Amino acid sequence: MSVRQALLALLEEEPRYGYQLRAQFEQRTGSTWPLNVGQVYTTLTRLERDGLVEGAGEDGEGHVIYRITDAGRAEVANWFTTPVERTQPPRDELAIKLALAVTVPGVDVGAVIQQQRSATMAALQDYTRLKRRAAEGSRREDLAWSLVLDSLVFAAEAEVRWLDHCEARLRRAQLERPEALLEEILAEEADEEASR
Amino acid sequence: MSALASWRLALRLARRDAMRHRGRSVLVLVMIALPVLAVTAADVVIATQEVSGVESLDRRLGAADALVEVPAGGAPMLQAFDPYDGSTSADGVPADHEPPAAAEVSDVLGGVRLLERRQGDVYLRTDDGVAYVWATEVDLRDPLTRGLFDLGSGRWPADSSEVVVNREVRDQGYAVGDRLDLVGDDAPAPIVVGIAESTTSRTMPVVAGPIGSLGIEPSEWSGPAWLAAGGDVSWAEVEELNALGATALSRAVLADPPPDSEAPEEIRAWSSGTDDAMVAAIVLIVVMALLEVVLLAGPAFAVTARRQARTLALMASAGGTPAQSRRAIIGGGVVLGTVAALLGVALGIGAGRLLVPVVQHWSGEWFGPFDVPWLHLLGIALFGLVSAVLASVVPAWIASRQDVVAVLSGRRADTRPSLRSPILGVVLIGVGVAGSAYGATSGSSGEFAIAASAVVAVLGMILLVPVVVAGVARLAGRLPLSPRYAARDAARHRTRTVPAVAAVAATVAGVVALGIAVTSDEAENEGTYQAMLPMGDGAVTAYDLTPPQWRDLHGAVAAKVPDADVVLVDGLVESTSMAEPDARSYYLETRAPGVPRHQPLLSMMATTFGSSVLVDDDMPEIVRGVSDAGRRRGDAALAEGRVVVFTDRPVDADRVVLRPSWSTMDDSGNLPRATVPATYVPIDRSEASASLVIPPAVIDRLDLPHAPVALAVSGGRITPEQEEAVTEAVQAVTNDGGFYVERGYQADDETVIVQLVLAGLGGVLMLGGTLTATFLALSDARPDLATLSAVGASPRRRRWIAASYALVIGVVGAVLGAAVGFIPGIAVTYPLTRGWDPEVEAHYLDVPWLMILGVVVALPLVTAALVALFARSRLPLVARVD
Amino acid sequence: MSAVLRMAEVTRVHGEGATEVHALRSVSFAAHPGELVAVMGPSGSGKSTLLTLAGGLDGPTSGVVSVEGVDLAGVGAAGRARMRRTSIGYVFQDFNLIPALTAVENVALPLELDGVRSRTARAGARAALEEVGIADLADRFPDHMSGGQQQRVAIARAVVGDRRLILADEPTGALDSETGESILRLLRARCDAGAAGVLVTHEARHAAWADRVVFLRDGVVIDETGADHADALLDAGRIR
Repeated sequence: MSVRQALLALLEEEPRYGYQLRAQFEQRTGSTWPLNVGQVYTTLTRLERDGLVEGAGEDGEGHVIYRITDAGRAEVANWFTTPVERTQPPRDELAIKLALAVTVPGVDVGAVIQQQRSATMAALQDYTRLKRRAAEGSRREDLAWSLVLDSLVFAAEAEVRWLDHCEARLRRAQLERPEALLEEILAEEADEEASR
Repeated sequence: MSALASWRLALRLARRDAMRHRGRSVLVLVMIALPVLAVTAADVVIATQEVSGVESLDRRLGAADALVEVPAGGAPMLQAFDPYDGSTSADGVPADHEPPAAAEVSDVLGGVRLLERRQGDVYLRTDDGVAYVWATEVDLRDPLTRGLFDLGSGRWPADSSEVVVNREVRDQGYAVGDRLDLVGDDAPAPIVVGIAESTTSRTMPVVAGPIGSLGIEPSEWSGPAWLAAGGDVSWAEVEELNALGATALSRAVLADPPPDSEAPEEIRAWSSGTDDAMVAAIVLIVVMALLEVVLLAGPAFAVTARRQARTLALMASAGGTPAQSRRAIIGGGVVLGTVAALLGVALGIGAGRLLVPVVQHWSGEWFGPFDVPWLHLLGIALFGLVSAVLASVVPAWIASRQDVVAVLSGRRADTRPSLRSPILGVVLIGVGVAGSAYGATSGSSGEFAIAASAVVAVLGMILLVPVVVAGVARLAGRLPLSPRYAARDAARHRTRTVPAVAAVAATVAGVVALGIAVTSDEAENEGTYQAMLPMGDGAVTAYDLTPPQWRDLHGAVAAKVPDADVVLVDGLVESTSMAEPDARSYYLETRAPGVPRHQPLLSMMATTFGSSVLVDDDMPEIVRGVSDAGRRRGDAALAEGRVVVFTDRPVDADRVVLRPSWSTMDDSGNLPRATVPATYVPIDRSEASASLVIPPAVIDRLDLPHAPVALAVSGGRITPEQEEAVTEAVQAVTNDGGFYVERGYQADDETVIVQLVLAGLGGVLMLGGTLTATFLALSDARPDLATLSAVGASPRRRRWIAASYALVIGVVGAVLGAAVGFIPGIAVTYPLTRGWDPEVEAHYLDVPWLMILGVVVALPLVTAALVALFARSRLPLVARVD
Repeated sequence: MSAVLRMAEVTRVHGEGATEVHALRSVSFAAHPGELVAVMGPSGSGKSTLLTLAGGLDGPTSGVVSVEGVDLAGVGAAGRARMRRTSIGYVFQDFNLIPALTAVENVALPLELDGVRSRTARAGARAALEEVGIADLADRFPDHMSGGQQQRVAIARAVVGDRRLILADEPTGALDSETGESILRLLRARCDAGAAGVLVTHEARHAAWADRVVFLRDGVVIDETGADHADALLDAGRIR
């Protein structure tokens, strides 16, 4: 995540001090990615070192105000005009979990999928609820927030759809391998025998 | 792809579609097959009933080869191949020409044997009086006569004292062994030896026996006739016989006629001269029938076209041409039309076969062998096919021009109506009005012009239907839900609605036009009705009663009608009974000196009391239409021994010229004329019931017989019961008399029946048009009905919508049709009720408002009610099984 | 609060013998006032059958369906029709507006069918159209409206006359995501105002608008996500 560029973009609007930057970031992304103030100041120090921001004195209450430099402006412009690179697939725990569940014997893959789907669904519901709340406002900041939420919504939705897809494929695989089904049934019968 | 291959594809698609949508296909089949069936059945019955030349040969010739007749006293003849189709005496005949004798005829035919045959009528006394009997004299034992009569029981006559009669005569009281009591002084009295049926006539009384058995003498117009044996008689021989003064019906000529050019030109002119008016009438009827069938079948094709709209749009988007789209729909018309036509013809032949015995029962003539006129049937089948194709043409045209994008995006409505066709419609209606006006004012062929312009007006009206339907939909905003939906949906699906509405409208137009014509005709009858007596008065007339019988009858009638004056009316004997062929009847022509002969003294008169010449000493009370002053003058004149002459024109004379004449059944003669003093009394011609009153002394002096001729019953408002009692009293003494009671104008039952039949036929056609469109609309409206159901419409709602649909179609059609029907309806009353007297400007117009109201309001309501009753009360569900 | 819609042990079997299909097996389900419930499942899972049963358009083979305490099987076809006019509103995927009627007339349908006077019905319909934000299109015919506008009309028709149960069958299926979202927002608002809603969908994003999501597989409810409190999301722990 590019806290560096995000802070630069906020400073491009107007000179701000550390706390303000943190508040603005959280407001616009709906506290989705919480920042701690330490992270903000570390980043500002590095930006200053790289000549992208500069100090602009203090306000009445002793907060150090930062201002963007021309080089910083260029960096922000560059950031907005370059697509986010999808270099490496992010390490996705869910995908790995499913891959293993399918291959490791004795795991009820259907239950794994449904469990995950319910969880993702619940998250999706929560995002949607937040979105409803965000939609009530009409400031640009609210729009920003709701776009971020949309990103989360679509991501979650994609996950649910992917889960649906997995489920459908699993079913088909089962239908195509009746001997597997037979094995399953035999195993069940054996269980019953044993329990008696 | 060649056109042929493209057609083959279209037909195959159409056949599959027809199979898949059975209901709609059956609808079209019925609409087209029914008229085809009806016409075929009628045609088969007519063809069977008509005995064509060849078919008739056996019944006319027996076993002979020719029948030679001398019809015109021996004048040279011209004849058609069949003399009954036309024959006439040639021009420039020497007056003293002798009719050919048997020997001459035989010579022409190469010396063949001739068997004489005579025909005529005889009068036969029966239990009920005297009956007219058709008589044939021919030797029935001769094998040449085989086929003329069928012997049922008994035997053929052996000599001229014996005859056979048919069942009809037997039923009048003659059995085998009885002696026939023929009327006439020296009539023979043959014995019935057998019961034989004529092969021609079924119900007419018939008697036959050898020459001389019935006393038929050859007369000037019914000369001798012979059946000829001995081989084929050629056309040349026939022409030779013609020159001799005979006509010949030759078996050989009829079986194998020479070319038409061989027939005499004069005769050909008669037979080949087809009646233009007849052809025009048939063309009109065919056009109207075609129109009606096309309109009735149209909605089904419109629905087919729309159901296929998506397929066609896909075809178009894949490069299909409009022509291919059209073919796909017209292919349906071809397939269904062919099936319907074949089915209709096949069933029609069957129906005709079943109908023949029924129709035979009502006909006096024996029908020929069962006859299927294949050429006609081909035409009828073609009619069915053409109507189906025509019905599919407009939907096909519209389908080929549909908006592909709109169809593919699932919009269901028809395109907006163009403005051109309604304008053309108005123009056509204008032409129809003008033509009707022309027909109304022009003379002879007015009816035809009106009928033709009626068709034009109906066509114009059809073009207006879309606009009217759209207008109704626009006005429907304030209506309750169901009619509003129906009106709007009808307008959205114009290709389906318009033909149905037009079919109803065309029907109603016809019914209204004919209704106005019939009612106006009836109004004319009523308007020109001439009362013969004062209301409630009556007159007994009879022709064969003796004076004592009259007196007895007088007493009997007076007893039946106690509160009325019954007067015995004396008059000149103007009519006699058929039972006494020798009784003389008299006629008295009157003329005023100085009045030209072509100006009758009385322009109109009804002989109410059995004679127009009454004999009395004073003015009979029963004579009406005379003023009190006139009556006093008449009384005075009669007292002075003058004749009273009734007149409706001013006459300045005091004498009258009387020219008496007499006649019997066979003879007539004039009596000496006389000029006698007379008084002219004005009379209202519409009430005149006698032309003169002669004092008894005067008529005796003129040596003219007078006798009681009638009983006048007046002053006592005769009740129907009394009328029946008097009629019975009259019938007790004579078969040849009657009792007339003035009841004013009595509407002809026929008019009422015609109106009912019109309304019934209109009703059936209206019902057909309305039901087709309604049920097609309902099947189209499935998605809408499902939606309605989902938003809470009760199942009954479907009935309401169906009924509203029927109402919209019925009312719009009926109102339009009625409006258009008035044009020819009113126009035709002008030629129809124009009196026989061109000087009298007569015109009667009576609009049958009740019937029109019934057709325009009641019939649609009844149809809607029927639809509501029979529509399924079940809404479709949003049927999706997932 | 008592449920507006309650389905108890509902089974629906289509066809017989060899072609027998169990669309629903012993499904129990409820929708409460103020609650929007989404029913999710792939095609063939029985979710549309559930909706037709809830609306009384179809009857269960066994089990009880009751709306506002009324057993739908006990009131007859006419009674169920009346319930659809007064208590149950339907929204379909393909809008199902009647093309021969204007927007306001379409919305007024349930009222008119219920015998409300035309003028009153139209006034109510106009108010409902206003609620869904297309009062200015009241006199248009459906053919002259966009898909989103038509679906708004359909929603107005489903809610007019203060109906307490709204059944929506893939209401966004034929719409783009932005328009679909606005439709869901309307449904949601209606439920927040006190109605009970059942939303059948196969899209998770849309189901997420519901308070509860019921998962249907082969006619059986296999899972249900309850409504967690929204603020819980603010706990950093929920975010990956």
